[in-house]
Amino acid sequence: MNTFYHIGKYLLFLTKVFKRPQKRNIFIQNIFFEIEKLGINSIVIVFIISVFMGAVITLQTAYNIELSFVPLYLVGLGTRDSMFLEFSSTIVALILAGKVGANIASEIGTMKIREQIEALDMMGVNSESYLVLPKIIAAVFTFPLLTLFSMFIGIFGGYLAVYFTDAIPIDDFVYGLHYYFIPFYITYSLIKVVIFAFIIATIPAYQAYFIRGGALEIGKASTKAVVYSSILILFFNVVLTQILLS
Amino acid sequence: MIEVRNISKSFGEEQILTDISLTFERGKTNLIIGQSGSGKTVLLKSVAGIHEIDKGEIVFGKEVYSAMSHKERQKIRKEIGMVFQGGALFDSYTVYENVIFPLRMFSTLSKKEMTERVEFCLDRVNLHQVEDLYPSEISGGMQKRVAIARAIVLNPKYLFFDEPNSGLDPKTAIVIDNLIKELTIDFNTVTIINTHDMNSVIEIGDNIAFIYKGKKWWTGNNKEILISNNKELNDFVFATELMRSIKK
Repeated sequence: MNTFYHIGKYLLFLTKVFKRPQKRNIFIQNIFFEIEKLGINSIVIVFIISVFMGAVITLQTAYNIELSFVPLYLVGLGTRDSMFLEFSSTIVALILAGKVGANIASEIGTMKIREQIEALDMMGVNSESYLVLPKIIAAVFTFPLLTLFSMFIGIFGGYLAVYFTDAIPIDDFVYGLHYYFIPFYITYSLIKVVIFAFIIATIPAYQAYFIRGGALEIGKASTKAVVYSSILILFFNVVLTQILLS
Repeated sequence: MIEVRNISKSFGEEQILTDISLTFERGKTNLIIGQSGSGKTVLLKSVAGIHEIDKGEIVFGKEVYSAMSHKERQKIRKEIGMVFQGGALFDSYTVYENVIFPLRMFSTLSKKEMTERVEFCLDRVNLHQVEDLYPSEISGGMQKRVAIARAIVLNPKYLFFDEPNSGLDPKTAIVIDNLIKELTIDFNTVTIINTHDMNSVIEIGDNIAFIYKGKKWWTGNNKEILISNNKELNDFVFATELMRSIKK
């Protein structure tokens, strides 16, 4: 019953979020501000995680292929497809749910308990739209770019691993990267990440927008935001995979 | 003038306000006083339209606020300036950005005109050379004055203050009280102040409403409050030795 109550409340919240912005130039300015905060500031973490994960996937695949009849180029193919299909969309989204989700929840939560949201409402500003819509647009626009970046960096990480360890011949790895490439995998990954971006921007905002109490509640809201966003990302990952790849 | 007619408000099972009727006059400082938990903040926020009332009417001039559409309410809200207990300044904005914010959202003034208006408002609250500072870099009293500057920047007809002196030292509190009084006269606003600062009550209480257990218990002014025989009011106002000595 409680779940249905929150789904209804969340949908009502979204109807307010998607109202037309009151001042277009401020709205556009806020979008650029959020692009910097949510997207550009996440580049470093995405880079670090992607390069290491790409390297690990490559090395693990290489060391697990000990049978002589398995061609070595499958290491490159495995790294590419793992990055394209799952890692650069889902795992990066889970990491962003932690970083960006907690950031959104703490920002809006602090504004809520310090009466800044009431102040916005009091001035006649649609606080839901003013605060949340730029975050949604920024996330939906930048997270797919981060995903493409992660794909590239992950494969680069794999390449570095092969180059420095000689786990397999580098030519086999590169051949595997090119072998049987299916462009739809990128489309599939980008479709998924757009949905994940929407979840990451709205669930923490919803959790924080309705908090009551003090600073302790902000921490609780941030935790809930990350947990619920992560669960929803994993759930929609299954649903979208079934829809898009079946 | 703002008229509150028989309003009631509850949160779940808990009845906060019961059948309150009050009149807040233009050009005067209208104070709502009462103990913590008496419902005075809920009353102020209900009048300001932040809380939806369960029963009764709130009338701004001749317009019944509680019967207005969302769009009409938005229009009235632009005529209200409110100063919240903690100031409610936006942490990530500078003083200048905080004060100019309502102008950027709702006015059609040029950038130069907006800047002039911000300078005028900051000057009016006696703040100088702080435009580029963030709220965390200025004192509590200055934050309150920035919040007042932001509240008056759109030339409001109605000014609401929620505990304007909370967290301030007595000297700064007097400065804020005097500023509120001056602004009320200068801008000819309907000013409603929610306070339990007895110094404010004595200094600027043109009209005072005492709220007790969610009900209107007593109304009068800063002279009548000193000679009232209302027991609950006297228990509240003369709770300290200092106030009892003033009464004597």
